[in-house]
Order: sequence, then C-alpha cells, then structure tokens
Amino acid sequence: MDHVRNFCIIAHIDHGKSTLADRLIQACGAVEARQFRDQVLDDMDIERERGITIKSNSVSLDYRARDGELHQLNLIDTPGHVDFSHEVRRSLMACEGALVVVDATQGVEAQTVANLYLALEHDLELLPVINKIDLPAADVERVREEIDQDLGLDPFDAIPVSAKQGLGIDEVLEGIVTHLPPPRGERKAPLKALVFDARYDAYRGVVLYVRVVDGRLASGDRVRFMHTGREYEVHEVGLNRLRREESRGLDAGAVGYVITGIKTIRDVSIGDTLTHAREPAEAPLPGYKPARPVVFSSIYPMSSREYGDLSVAMEKLALNDAALVYQKDSSAALGFGFRCGFLGLLHLDVVQERLRREFDLSLILSAPSVLYRVQLRDGERVDIDNPAYWPEPGAIDSVEEPYIRASILLPEKHLGAAMELCREHRAATLGTGYLARGRLEVSAEMPLAEVLFDFYDKLKTVTRGYGSFDYEPLDYRPAEVVKVDILVHHEKVDALAFLAHREKARARALHYCGQLEQSIPRQQFKIPIQGAIGAEIIARSTINPFRKDVTAKCYGGDVTRKRKLLERQKKGKARMKLVGSVEIPQEAFVSVLRTERGR
Amino acid sequence: MTARSPAAASRRPTAGRSARVAPERASLPSGAGEGAGLYVHVPFCSAICPYCDFAVSVGAAPRREAFVRDLLREIALWREWREPFDTVYLGGGTPSILGAGQLGRLLDAVRSHLPVRDDARIFLEANPEDVAHEAVSAWRRLGVHTLSLGVQSFDDRELRFLGRRHDAAHAQGAVRECVAAGFDTMSLDLIFGLPDQSADTLRASLDTAVALGPDHVSCYQLTVHEGTAFGRRRARGRLVEMPEDEQAARYALIHQVLARGGWRAYEVSNFARAPRHRSRHNMKYWRHLPYLGLGPSAHSFDGARRWWNHRGIEAYRAALDRDERPVAGSERLTREELALEALMFGMRTTEGIDLRDFRRRFGVDIAARNRRFVGDCLESGLLERAGDRLKPSTAGLAVADTLAARLEL
Ligand SMILES: Nc1nc2c(ncn2[C@@H]2O[C@H](COP(=O)(O)OP(=O)(O)O)[C@@H](O)[C@H]2O)c(=O)[nH]1
Ligand code: SF4
Repeated sequence: MDHVRNFCIIAHIDHGKSTLADRLIQACGAVEARQFRDQVLDDMDIERERGITIKSNSVSLDYRARDGELHQLNLIDTPGHVDFSHEVRRSLMACEGALVVVDATQGVEAQTVANLYLALEHDLELLPVINKIDLPAADVERVREEIDQDLGLDPFDAIPVSAKQGLGIDEVLEGIVTHLPPPRGERKAPLKALVFDARYDAYRGVVLYVRVVDGRLASGDRVRFMHTGREYEVHEVGLNRLRREESRGLDAGAVGYVITGIKTIRDVSIGDTLTHAREPAEAPLPGYKPARPVVFSSIYPMSSREYGDLSVAMEKLALNDAALVYQKDSSAALGFGFRCGFLGLLHLDVVQERLRREFDLSLILSAPSVLYRVQLRDGERVDIDNPAYWPEPGAIDSVEEPYIRASILLPEKHLGAAMELCREHRAATLGTGYLARGRLEVSAEMPLAEVLFDFYDKLKTVTRGYGSFDYEPLDYRPAEVVKVDILVHHEKVDALAFLAHREKARARALHYCGQLEQSIPRQQFKIPIQGAIGAEIIARSTINPFRKDVTAKCYGGDVTRKRKLLERQKKGKARMKLVGSVEIPQEAFVSVLRTERGR
Repeated sequence: MTARSPAAASRRPTAGRSARVAPERASLPSGAGEGAGLYVHVPFCSAICPYCDFAVSVGAAPRREAFVRDLLREIALWREWREPFDTVYLGGGTPSILGAGQLGRLLDAVRSHLPVRDDARIFLEANPEDVAHEAVSAWRRLGVHTLSLGVQSFDDRELRFLGRRHDAAHAQGAVRECVAAGFDTMSLDLIFGLPDQSADTLRASLDTAVALGPDHVSCYQLTVHEGTAFGRRRARGRLVEMPEDEQAARYALIHQVLARGGWRAYEVSNFARAPRHRSRHNMKYWRHLPYLGLGPSAHSFDGARRWWNHRGIEAYRAALDRDERPVAGSERLTREELALEALMFGMRTTEGIDLRDFRRRFGVDIAARNRRFVGDCLESGLLERAGDRLKPSTAGLAVADTLAARLEL
C-alpha cells in the first residue's frame, strides 16, 4: 500500500489538465503507449475501450521512483465542473491527493479556488503545478505568489512544467510519490469499496469503478451494495490500464474495475459501498446520497418529425446516466416529447447539450420546475412537477415546496451584493464564516425553485466569476404556489404554462409576455398576449398587426432574387407552430424559455 | 457554368431557337398578346449613392464609349430574338450620362438588329444633373416617350443625406424643363422612409411634385441593403431604419396626397395620372410577359426561362470578346415558381389576382386554399374582393410581401 498513490488533477478549464494527464500516462508506459497508439489506428474497439478507460474514469500507471521502488499511481478523473459537486466529491473521495494545475499565463482563477476548497474538505494533500511555462507570457513568480496568497499552498512545492512540451513531467511524477500520501486502510478488515462511477459496456454489461478502502475484493466473491441491499457475484476485477487488465484481486487502497453481471446502470447507485455478503462491514462509507431527480422539464424536438430520433437518443443517454428519468409527454403546441427529471440544473444542461451535440437534435425545453407537494381539500396528497397536472385552485388546501441549504463561497468584497441577491431569492442566510484569507462562506436556506432560473448566473456576475455555489436538499416547507397560464390571442399555450411562487408570478409572466412580443412576428390582426392566474390577468402585452413591409424595388426584371426571398419567408413559416389562429415560430419558445434562465 | 445555360447554348446559335422558347401554355397569363420588352442597362453614374445596390460604377468618358461598343456587340448577338418589342427601356445606372450621339447609336442598333415595333415606346431614365435644354431636346428628337427623372426629394437636407448630386432648386428646374419639352409621359422618382423623415418634409416634397404636374410618380421606400454604405452604417448602429408604424403612416400619406392631386396608385410604388401613363414596360415584369435585358446584370425572361447577365463589366466584356452572350446564369421556372411570382406581383399591383385565371394557370384556388387568412384580410381591409379579383387595398399594398408570404399555394 505504501507504493500506491491515488490522485486527481484539479484545474480551471483550459489550464492544461487533459494535456498533463496524457503526458503522465505517456511517461509511465512509453513502450506500452507506442504499441497502444499503433493499435489504435486500426482497432476501433480499443479506441472505444480507451474512451471508457481513460476519458472519464481512472487509469493505473506504473512508475519507478528515483529511490528505485516501483509505484502504482492511480489517476482518477473528476468531472470538470465543480457545479456538479456531488460527482466531484465522489471522485475526490477515492483519492488521497490532488495536483492543482495553474496556467502560468493566467494565474489562479475561480474554478481553481472553488475546486481547491472541495479538495480541502476531503482532506486531500495538494501539490501545485504551474503549467505552460514554455509560453512567452508565462510569469512563474507571480503565479507562485498567487499560489501562496490565494490558495494558501506552499509556493516552494510548486512544480513548473510545460505539459505540451513534456518539460518537468518527471518532477511531477516524483512529486506525486514524495508529496502525496499513500492510502490508509485495513487489508484484514471487512470489505468496503466505494463505487465512484459506472459505465455501460455493450459486451460486459455494467462496469463499476471502485476504490477499495478496507479489505480485499476478488473475483468469485459475493458482494452486496450496502445501501440498496442488492447482491451480486463478482465475475472479474482488474486495473484500468490503457485497456482493462484483469487481476486476481483488489486490495485496500487500490483503484480498479469490477464486473458483476449487472445488466442496467439503473440497478447501480453511484456512491454506494460494496461489501462482502458473508462478512459485511458494519457501516457504509459516509457521504452517500441516492440520486433523486429534483428538477423537471419537458423536452420536445423542434420539429415533430424528430420525435423518433429523440426517443432513441434518450434511451442511449439513459444507458450511461442512471440519474436521468423520463417518460413520454405531449403538448398541444409542441407535439410529443418527454417529461424528464434531473439531479439539478447542470445535469439538465449536460443532458440537453449531449442531445444537441451527440445526437444533432434541435430541442425546445419547457421551464424547469421543482416537485411540489399538494394537499387537496379532499384529503388526498399529490406530488406535482408539471403545470399541466396542477389542480384547480379551489381544490387545493395547501402546497409545500422543496428547500435547500445553500453554501456560497465568495471573496469578501462581494459579500454585500451576494446578500442582496439572496434576499431577492427568498433566501434566509444562516451565517457567514471565513474559510481563508479574504474568502467567505455564506450558508443559507432557500427554496430550490429560486435557484432554477437566474440565481446562479447572477451570483457569477456579482462575484465576477469568483463565487461558487453548492447545495443540499433540506425539507419541504409551506409555500404559496400558483399556476400561470400564458395566453396568445386568448388561447392558452400549454408549453409555456409555469408554476411559481405568487410573489414571483407577475414578474415572470411579464418577462414571458415581453419576450413573446419580441419574437412572434406581426400578423394580420392585433394579438394580445397575457399572463393569467385562473381568470385573473397579471401581465399583458400586444403585438400590433403588420402594417408595412420594406418593399424593395423590383428593378430590371430581377424577379428571381425577390422570389427567393419570398421562398425563404415561406419556409420560415412552415416551421411555425399554430396556436389557435396565431403562428408562433419555434424560436419564440426557445427564446422565451432560454432567456428566462440567462436573464 | 453548366452546358445547359443559354450562354453555352448561344455558342452555336441556331436561328430562332435559343430565345424563342415557346412559353408554356398553362403559364401564359390571360390578356397576353402584348409585345415583349427590351431593357438596356447603363451601369454608370456620376457618383455612387450610399444606398445603391445596383450594378453601377463611376465611368469616365472613355469607359462609357467602350461600353457603348460592348452593347452594340451584345445587341448583334440577339438577332434571332423573334418576339416583337413594344417597349425599349434605357435604365441604369444613369443612361442620361451618355451623350445624345451615343444614345442615338444604341437606338439605331436596337432597331436594325431586333424586332422593335414602330410604335414601341422608348423610356429613358435621367438624373437632374444631366438635364439641360440641349439634352432634353435631343432626347425628344430620339423619340423618347417616357422620361423618368431621379429627383428623390425636394428637400436639400434629404438630398445631401442620400448623397445626390443635385439640390432641390435644380431638381425643380429640371422637372419644369422636361414637362415643358412635352414628353408623352413625364415621370419623377421620389424616395421616402429616410430614418428621420418627418411627415412634414415628406408632404412638402409631395406637394412640390404635385404642383409641377408630372404624369407619373414612382415613390420608393428607402431600402438599406447589406454591402452598401448605408448597410455598413446600419451594422455599426449609426443608421436606424424608420420604425414600421411610421413607415406605414408615411406610406398612407403618399397615397393620400397623390390621390388628391389625381395620381392613382397602380402598383406598390407607382402612381399615374391616367391609365395610359402607367409604365407599359414595368408592367411586363409583373405580368410574366417576355423581356430581354442587355448590359451588365440585366435579366431576361421568355415565358418559361429566366437568365441574367454577368454583373461585373469585366466578365460581361470578356464573354463578348469570345463572341458569346454575356449570360451568367439561368433558371427554368417550375409551375410552382411561376405561381409564387404571380402571387407576389398580384399583391403588389392594384389589379390584384384574377382568381379564375390563377386557377386556370396554376391549378390553385387561392381564396379557397386560404379561406381563413383571406377572410381575416377582407375583414381588416387589407384585401378587397371584386368579382373574380382579389385585390390589395392601399393598406394591403403596404404589406404586399407579407401577404404573398402568408397566402399558401
Ligand atoms: N503552450 C502550452 N500550451 C498548453 C500547455 N498545456 C496545455 N496547453 C494547451 O492549452 C489548451 C488547453 O489544454 P487542455 O489540456 O485541454 O486543458 P483542460 O481544459 O484543463 O483539460 C490546449 O490547447 C493545450 O494544447 C503547455 O504546457 N504549453
Ligand atoms: S443614381 Fe441611381 S443607379 Fe446611380 S448610384 Fe444613385 S441610386 Fe444607384
């Protein structure tokens, strides 16, 4: 165990995390890497496997240190985004140390700091690395100062490197061995292994990525997930080299993979603890939270013809995303789609981004909502996240909404602005405390619904990018919630209806009306746009009828150009959704729903 | 260029074939039987207006003479054209920049090589700075029937904004000179919708126009095109177009003032004192009648196919040097495309659309196909129904393009 190091790399985006990781892998397996690359060229399967092994999980490297001893270095990847801190935390929990990469031309930046605090929370030992020293603009001395001042790390430990040119890589490897601690753990104790990730493999079923904390895990063992209680037989264990490399067992301190014959990723809870069925550990590892959707939104294809494609894409995404829940949904305005549940706003963003990029789909997303608990007059209680199912106000006795405990890290000088922001978002601040020089933590309790729209962007703005935000679910509390309908030319547009706190309803409805006014083209009649709670109109705007085109001269018989313009106009019209007698361009839905978040 | 283009076809001119493609029966508009139109594009101006996106440049005298020779060569290449012309339109650019001698040679060549009817009407576009007693008499002698004068405004500030080379006083003098010369139709062009044009300055220009007594007025809305000086100003936020509702109000004002003076609209931008003063030439474009365009960027149409010349004078000349027609591209119009154009023109002219004729030509009953939309428009007064005709009202003309875009085929 003394010859094992489990570490991750934390960095602000673009500071060179991936490049450094590639260099470390290369330096530790030069021969292997060459063979590997030669193979890759004509072996797509390996390429696929490589994607699984390296891109988003862990890799085990052999490194002979200067003292002559062979060490096993396990590099564990962390999701780049600290916003998704549950996932980052799980990866950090598998490590004892981390490299903190800072770009020598950019210096310490917001994500560096935010990541650093997460790492400190998990008691990781930190080793600063100053990257890109090959660049003329590199200022290593200034960055050393920042590492001292802003990160509170010892600037003399910092290793200057150029990941791109391969300078200083040996020093980094040596630093990992000398500065980062080996894992502690009891080989003889009952098995405790943290499942920090899982992937679906078309040939082998679900592959689990684990960090063994205590005990030993071997093929043939019967294991139990301590939280879900499910039991499985271990078919194979091994190390993540450039490809999976089977081994007989994984000892305390090791990082590797486990294949048990689990068929679907939905049967796995990331963060769960594996133990032996026969000799189980007393308690699971701390910090487990089951993945439960808290944010809901409907996803529609821009063109109803793409529903089939969307359906296939959702299925594929769900193969590797156990947290994504969805079911078929339909809207009068937008046709068929899916009502989806997400772990949070970032999860939602990741899913829609992947649908767009990997599956090339154009989407319309309805306004995100939380799950409300509604007590009906007749004594029944229903949970509702979709405005379409909101009961008549007369039938509702009371409503509760989910609250969160928010933790905001920010530089002291932005405290005033952040407190103001909290007030605007119905947050009750519980207290503030110093984390490090000039850096504060504000904790607050607030409705989750308040975070769904512009809170996060505003926080970034008022803290100039140096604020970070994290939260955990708290409980449900009474709230006055209303359903707001948006009416265009007196017709309800179902896809635009939303649930909101009564105090916030008017402002949001006004925003919708204003956006629609901008994005619905004028038509042959006047179009009123209204926001309404039941029969009560709370916001309105009007689109005047079209009155004048800029009719260009049709000179010299160049009719073709004019006709082409007209054809384009007609094509645009074909992409509109008809609501009542009004044609609404899809872009109108997109712009209303998107700008609401970025407002 | 594909081998199917007219330019390629013209390399082996077979008498009477390349241009006399019989118009497809179904697409022939009723009331055809009129002649074809001949357009000649003169791509020179004394300076380039900041809103202009025509194919023009500033040409010194030697370049102009060289170009006249090019035109003569192009004219000769169209000897097989058979459809008789009853209009000859000299446009641009500024054809009045050419001397009377040059214009005379052009017209002579046209008459001797092409089937121009004896009673064909000759149209000439002129800019006020070229109007002088001598020149005007020469134009009359050349047989110019309609003189169209690019006045644009009678307001000095607006003229400066538009980058014109004349002032209001000169423009008035020029109009008087031309009116006095006794052209059959004296027309003047105005531009409205300048970014901060007030109703008052527009009205003043219109009143002046009315008082000068032309037979025909064209009143175009300023269009800001990308790639022009105004387009660049707009992109930098230094030129903001007039808001839609104000445009509409100005447009209504034009109709009101001109109607009171006796000029009735017959197209989106065109007004005539009597039906005989309407532009017989322009109406050919709107009615899908055949026309032949000569000179850079000019477009031609034979009832089924449309083709266009090279826009740049160099490419235009290079083709002529090879003894080829300077055609840059062409398209054969499908029935749907012809229908769309007919719809577009129908909405731009007070004649509107003859529903029965449209159904006969294109197999679409516009009114039945768009029952709801047409109903809305009849109710709100954008469209009017007169027997088989569906016609845009004044308010409808203002949104002609939108109506054409909304009406389904
Ligand atoms: N000049 C220079 N560029 C580097 C160095 N390391 C990384 N880069 C470049 O910086 C960019 C971001 O690197 P990447 O590893 O993708 O950053 P990540 O977002 O932190 O994973 C890429 O264009 C790299 O080529 C370095 O040492 N020197
Ligand atoms: S006079 Fe007419 S053609 Fe010449 S530059 Fe001005 S707008 Fe263009």
